[in-house]
Amino acid sequence: MPASWRGGRHRPPYNELFDARRNTVQAMRNDEAKARRCPDGYPSRMNAAPLLALVSQVLVRHRLDAVVIGNAAAALQGSPVTTMDVDFMFRQTPTNLRKLKAVADDLEAMVLRPYYPASALFRVVRDRDGLQLDFMAKVDGVRSFEALKARATPVRFGRSTLLVASLRDIIRSKERAGRPQDLAVLPVLRKTLDEQEARKASRG
Amino acid sequence: MSKKPARRAAAKRRVGSGARQAAGSPHGSALARESERALVEQIRRLLDLPPHERTHFLRVRLPNGGSAV
Repeated sequence: MPASWRGGRHRPPYNELFDARRNTVQAMRNDEAKARRCPDGYPSRMNAAPLLALVSQVLVRHRLDAVVIGNAAAALQGSPVTTMDVDFMFRQTPTNLRKLKAVADDLEAMVLRPYYPASALFRVVRDRDGLQLDFMAKVDGVRSFEALKARATPVRFGRSTLLVASLRDIIRSKERAGRPQDLAVLPVLRKTLDEQEARKASRG
Repeated sequence: MSKKPARRAAAKRRVGSGARQAAGSPHGSALARESERALVEQIRRLLDLPPHERTHFLRVRLPNGGSAV
């Protein structure tokens, strides 16, 4: 407010003062919201890029071969789906299990086997921030790790690269798994695959 | 206490959106078409991005056992 406005006949009408204050408060709220959001408008806590960069770096450091599968892979392939964890497929060998333990140590997490002995699932969990990485040796609808890896797409996060399973493999695994949560996302995944193929065809 | 006549109760029964869709009402199909169009647009928008930018998929765990985006 200019100094000449304070008091007397130069005081602006109430509406102007009210509008100025309201605009200032709104601008402060906008700044706060902006600080909490990424430049593209999503809340920053939804962004998995820092997590994926960290995980890919640690996997490369310990030379653990793993392919991203599940809803995280589907999202990276362009499907509008969400998930709470990142799933990987790997080969269950004594060497890889040692590497997985080293990966968990680097992430300050622990390795759990929640469905032992029924399932070959190794869950890397960090309580501090709820980080959860599921490493599976067997996946419904996937015959071999080598075949999945051969069809996977390399995606660069930071300085390292993660292998992301193809959408066709993800759809097949969800069809075979047949759980309600898998069947619920199948129409969206199929539509994404159709769009991907239409784009490939249009490019020649 | 007298019971309500069955005919009156039937007349007051409301028809839900599921029933309207099943009956092939134009309201249901328009919603379905619009929803389909929005989904395809969203997929195309995501496919326009490079894969390393399609990373806004993490849900956050809530203390009571649920999750949120």
